[in-house]
Amino acid sequence: MNKIIILSLILSLFWNCQSQENISIKKEYPRWIGDIKKNNSDNPNFELCNGENNVKQYFNNSQGLEYYGGKTKILKEFNNNFVPSTKQNQNGIIRIRFIVNCKGEIGMFRIIEADNNYKEFKFDNKITNQLLKITKTLNDWIPKEIRNKEIDYYQYLIFKITNGNINEILP
Amino acid sequence: MKYIIALIVSLFVLIKMNAQPNCEAYKYNGDTLKYKACKKAEEIKGHYQFSRIFQQKLDEAIKIDSTFAYAYREKSVAYLKSGNFITWKTLIDKAVKFDPKDNLGYRGWCRYQFFRDYKGAIKDIEKLDSLVAYDLGTSVNGDYHLNIAKAICYKAIGQKQKAIKIIENQLISKDYYVGIFDYFHLGVWYLEDNQFKKSLKTFKKQLIENDLAEVHYYMALTYKKLKDFSNYKKQLEIAKTMYIENKVLFDGYTHHFDKIYLKDIEDEIKTTYNKVYKQ
Repeated sequence: MNKIIILSLILSLFWNCQSQENISIKKEYPRWIGDIKKNNSDNPNFELCNGENNVKQYFNNSQGLEYYGGKTKILKEFNNNFVPSTKQNQNGIIRIRFIVNCKGEIGMFRIIEADNNYKEFKFDNKITNQLLKITKTLNDWIPKEIRNKEIDYYQYLIFKITNGNINEILP
Repeated sequence: MKYIIALIVSLFVLIKMNAQPNCEAYKYNGDTLKYKACKKAEEIKGHYQFSRIFQQKLDEAIKIDSTFAYAYREKSVAYLKSGNFITWKTLIDKAVKFDPKDNLGYRGWCRYQFFRDYKGAIKDIEKLDSLVAYDLGTSVNGDYHLNIAKAICYKAIGQKQKAIKIIENQLISKDYYVGIFDYFHLGVWYLEDNQFKKSLKTFKKQLIENDLAEVHYYMALTYKKLKDFSNYKKQLEIAKTMYIENKVLFDGYTHHFDKIYLKDIEDEIKTTYNKVYKQ
């Protein structure tokens, strides 16, 4: 009887250690830095082909940004549709990151904003809303493959903002 | 041959700059804490930069020695490549704080390459220059000497003459091994500065170093300024063919300065080219 109790205690201790390890791992970092989890604000119809745990990065196939018509087409969309903000002190950098699925569809957009010193900064909503809206209209992303397998991948667009206007777009 | 040597040099630089520090050196210098942190950091080997385990191993190294710059720099890479400039900057600043000589040039380059933070990049590269007596070396990808990167940044903020001077000086500096895009940028800036003959001479040197569609495009624009329409046509056609064959300026993460796109070539053909040849 004593042996069973001791064994149970050892097992429960081991189980506890494992649980704590898992909790601390999940608390600190996602699977990959920058992983996006689907939430209620995301388009429920946007689907990943290979699941959340298999989303790659845009540079993983060594081809960089891939868009039908090239980057020129992306630049044109923003040049033609973005209206600068007249609000004062709108300077810094905005990143919109999202996923391009294996069909070239995009979803799960996330925004970060900073001033020119890389400190968090809240831009005029007129700027961020427009950038997001135009980004969502970009529908010519080239589906990527790695070793003949179609992948879902993270892509981002970085906007350098000077006096409320787009100065440069990266990558 | 020269291109192959340049490639080997670039690879060497890449390997060197991405290499782990020599832990034994810390031990030899009696810094046992850094030695232990370094040994812990060695455990990242084989793990993807973006992965949880990669970050955790480096956190453990930092726990051993909170001034171990290498760990902060390695942690920062995934944030850099995913465009998270806020976290990247926090981490890389720590690396610079604890080892400025090893990290200022790297931070400066990344500021330029990933975020087009021209003023920040200039500040970092010039700060490094003030701290060391040796050659500044190249960007982490080996594409540019840091002085050439600095010249690009000056050009970007409107200081073209200063940018030209920096490249000219770099090209004649002792033991300098010409970079694979140096003459290209200098040629473009001469063109913009209306120094057309210098521009063509420089582009021709670039063709020997590294023949790219963009060089032919800018050569065409130079010939257009010189009203040499036969060579203008020829270079524009070469530029288009090479662009379609993908012989272009390429960066797997972002884009090169002075980069042009197929549409730029096509637009030039639609406008001046067609006008000249319809006459």
